[in-house]
Amino acid sequence: MTSTPVGEPVHVRSGFAPRSRASLAFLALGAVAIGVYFLLPDDAQDVLYVVIGLAAVAAVLHGARSRAAGRLSWQLFAAGLLCAVVADTISSYYEVRLDREPPVPSSADVFYLASYPLLLAGIFLLLRDLGSIRTRAAILDAVIVTVAAGMVQWIFFVGPYLKTSLHPFARGVEMAYPTMDLLMFVALAQLALGTGVRTWAYRLLVVAVGLWIVGDELFGLSVDNYTAGGWLDAFWLASYVCWGAAGLEPVENWRLALDRRQVPRLTKGRIALLAAALLTVPAVILVEHFWHGRNLHSVSIAVGASLLAVLVIARFAGLVRAVDSARIAEREANQRLRELDRLKDEFVSTISHELRTPLTSITGYVELAREQADPETNGYLAVVERNAARLLSLVNDLLFVARLQSGGLDLEEEPVDVAQLVAESVAAAKPQAVGANVELRLRLTGGDTAVRGDRRRLAQVIDNLVSNAIKFSPDAGSVDLTVDRGNGKVTVEVEDRGIGLSESERERLFERFFRSQGALDRQIPGTGLGLYITKSIVEAHGGSVAARSIVGEGSSFVVELPAAS
Amino acid sequence: MSDAPLVLCADDDADIRALLTIRLERAGFRVAQAADGEQALSLARELSPDVLVLDVMMPRLSGTEVLLALRGDEATAAIPVVLLSARAQEADVERGLEAGADAYLAKPFQAPELIEVVGRLAGR
Repeated sequence: MTSTPVGEPVHVRSGFAPRSRASLAFLALGAVAIGVYFLLPDDAQDVLYVVIGLAAVAAVLHGARSRAAGRLSWQLFAAGLLCAVVADTISSYYEVRLDREPPVPSSADVFYLASYPLLLAGIFLLLRDLGSIRTRAAILDAVIVTVAAGMVQWIFFVGPYLKTSLHPFARGVEMAYPTMDLLMFVALAQLALGTGVRTWAYRLLVVAVGLWIVGDELFGLSVDNYTAGGWLDAFWLASYVCWGAAGLEPVENWRLALDRRQVPRLTKGRIALLAAALLTVPAVILVEHFWHGRNLHSVSIAVGASLLAVLVIARFAGLVRAVDSARIAEREANQRLRELDRLKDEFVSTISHELRTPLTSITGYVELAREQADPETNGYLAVVERNAARLLSLVNDLLFVARLQSGGLDLEEEPVDVAQLVAESVAAAKPQAVGANVELRLRLTGGDTAVRGDRRRLAQVIDNLVSNAIKFSPDAGSVDLTVDRGNGKVTVEVEDRGIGLSESERERLFERFFRSQGALDRQIPGTGLGLYITKSIVEAHGGSVAARSIVGEGSSFVVELPAAS
Repeated sequence: MSDAPLVLCADDDADIRALLTIRLERAGFRVAQAADGEQALSLARELSPDVLVLDVMMPRLSGTEVLLALRGDEATAAIPVVLLSARAQEADVERGLEAGADAYLAKPFQAPELIEVVGRLAGR
């Protein structure tokens, strides 16, 4: 149901799209003119009325001429407005020159009634040109509102003429007005309830059409005591002004930012409108009961109410179905995600197997070769061995991170003495520390340092922090380890006198694959996964890890774990 | 030498098979080799080895399947089995031990560890 939009859609979220100075000036002048209108004597009023109408026609014509495409709708508007102005002129001729109301039907009616089809054709053509999306929901909303309005129109404005003693032709003319207004209302509903995001220019037109209809309806209600120059004229005049201002908006301010959503959002305004449409039925009944002598139009009300019921059910069925299908789509998407997750796990597991198998041969044969190599070759093979070990730890880290990502850690909890764990870690790191000429100093403050946790994972945390501290220590440096207990927490602090970290680095330290500049500059081996893994394990135990550092003086990492008792 | 314990090494990777053989022979074991699960099963039945070193991920029959078949047969149920696998996550270890393995070694393995485990299972 969509047609080609005029040019590229402009992405405007709110209706406050750009507005041109010309149209704002036109609006301002129009407002002043309407104000002046009510201060003038009758004769001058008629002149000003026609002048305002003609100004609107001129503005709309100008708009039509400035457009490359979509001119026809604006030409139709100009023609329609011109017809109305001509009719206004004839009416005022009757009133001022002949000093009586124009007869029914008169030549004024010919022009008035001609204006409606022209304006309607213009609106529907414009809607097509703008490529406003018409979804089923948007159309249903428009139809619901229109049916409610149609019922009111029929009962209060068209019906009464059926019983008058007017000449059939005159009766037809009188009935034509409310009918035309109903058609205008259809156009207004289409304009106002489409799914496009409304630009300022678009809203001007909606207001123009709305004012036109309100003017007509109020006139229909007070036709017997209407006098030209009364407050009612303000509606038609304002409609002219808005129509003219809309015409002056350049074509780029007209493009609707087409909403990609298929279903119009149920905004509060839309819900209120639909509710109002439903409430017309009791409203009509009450009005007839209290003001029309209980003279109920039962058949019309029944027909209107039934139509509304069917339409509202269709609308809500559509909503419910949309929600259902969204839910189904979500379930399918979830299933696909789970499947992907499973594939990823399988992939990671396979890759890890495929990498470990050759590593087994490499390390195994290098070990064999080292046993019978001369010292020089042995040195070379030691390098191979070290790098194979590095590769293996990388594979292990990647595997670990992949598991963290897909389902987290399974902790095998048991009582673990942190002080003992740190002592073991220090003992295991001795060879690395001796190789790097770094002194490890362990300080235990005493007290119960037991926590509940996964022994292997916690050992991994301490090993990682100790190994980092050694790696980043200068030659002949030292690393201080402290295990403490306080405030229901067991604290492990690992402090080095290394290169330190800047504040911005400290913030990103625990991210995956993050490596500090110092580590990169000094080519200190690492993957940037260690601290991420450390943090994940500590947090899985309900603890926290933090880094303190001064550039050039060293860093300190503090792990806090909830104490067991 | 003929009364040395017999170890059957099953692994689809020839290099690793050879590595296992060298390490175990140097440690004083007799070694037989199998290149896949089916061969491992038939050789285990035929030779009744003192220890079976069994890779988990093998074509045709996986190590776990071989293990289950051996445990289900009275004649072979008592053969000590060391599972050897590159899949060394806890869940894998658990599954292997549940299937009736006596020990579980992760690849890459350390030679002293291999010899210690095999020696222990061979009753040396």
